[in-house]
Amino acid sequence: MNDVINPTVASDLGLKLGVNELPYAVPIHPMLVHFTIGLFIVAILFDGLGALYGIRKRLGLRLNIGRSTLFDIGWWNIASAALCTFVTVIFGYFEIALATPPVGIKSPWGFTASQTMLMHGVGGLILLGVLVLLSIWRGFQRYRWRKDKENQVQWSYLLAGAVTLGLMFFQGELGAHMSADFGIHNTAVQILRAPEDSPLKKCDIRTNCL
Amino acid sequence: MFAITLNEYNLPYPEPITSPIHPITVHFVIAMVVFSVLFDFLGHFQRRESFLNVGWWNLATATAAVIVAVFFGQLEAGFANYSKSVQPVLDWHTVIGWSLSAILVILALWRGFLRYRNPLRLNVPYLGAGLAVVGLVFYQTVLGTQLVWQYGLHVKPVVEASRQQGGSP
Repeated sequence: MNDVINPTVASDLGLKLGVNELPYAVPIHPMLVHFTIGLFIVAILFDGLGALYGIRKRLGLRLNIGRSTLFDIGWWNIASAALCTFVTVIFGYFEIALATPPVGIKSPWGFTASQTMLMHGVGGLILLGVLVLLSIWRGFQRYRWRKDKENQVQWSYLLAGAVTLGLMFFQGELGAHMSADFGIHNTAVQILRAPEDSPLKKCDIRTNCL
Repeated sequence: MFAITLNEYNLPYPEPITSPIHPITVHFVIAMVVFSVLFDFLGHFQRRESFLNVGWWNLATATAAVIVAVFFGQLEAGFANYSKSVQPVLDWHTVIGWSLSAILVILALWRGFLRYRNPLRLNVPYLGAGLAVVGLVFYQTVLGTQLVWQYGLHVKPVVEASRQQGGSP
């Protein structure tokens, strides 16, 4: 594959790429998004529960959780989400740079693979910026503006969090299309798409021909 | 009996749900277990209550989420476009997944008991167990990622090919 007589993008990069067009067996970015999404959603959820803590009396609940405890989860999880997302975006861009999206097919939303990949890339950078800004905002509420208040979060912050959840849904769906519809960086899909006479057809899916 | 029509991803879901749900539910197990143990380590050695609060509530969230994750995981595994080569990976993912659901319930009970006794103090056996569970969660994540990105389970082009050939590569 890395024949110097027929230079390719892969050979020019000097990376030992597998069938999946990556220098490792499975993409790293899809494993890192678990942290970005999980931590962020749970952060907003716990801040929401903290903000609504007063309702528990009207519901007849006698919870002994402590309001400030819920806000601890809200703050530390969004701070962790923002930090993790730097790594998520770095691996995302590395893996986008190595991908050759399939041509001529469309996602359930009617976008081609290239369009989906481009929007997911730009969307990822925007979301990173939003998560960092939300964390800074949340930090100011916790340590400055609302330090002595019983309710640590502003309603506007929760609203912004909910809007960001919406953005994250679209971003996640675009990522799912890249995986489930286009099979980008997918070993089995790459083997299927290779021409009949390609040595890839003889590749063992388990070893990724590395 | 009505026949169940599977969509292009070999899944029984109605529109607009297309791709698998299990990979979404596992966000809340993976991230919450790892960041529970991480914050428990920081909280235990720095004696910081807010970190220990994060440790407990993230573990409680993960334990609730793992039940949902196993539910959808087992459902979607049952509809997977199967091949001989994927079998050992899917078998291990299934065994570890069910085990993790039991392990997380036990770990959460243990953690909850320690918190009830003293919210500012954990012990070394618990932290060691937490670290081992984090290792298991990482391994499980790699196996699950392999099922999609190496073997193409519920990935449209692979499902199409396996329907034509009567088996995926």
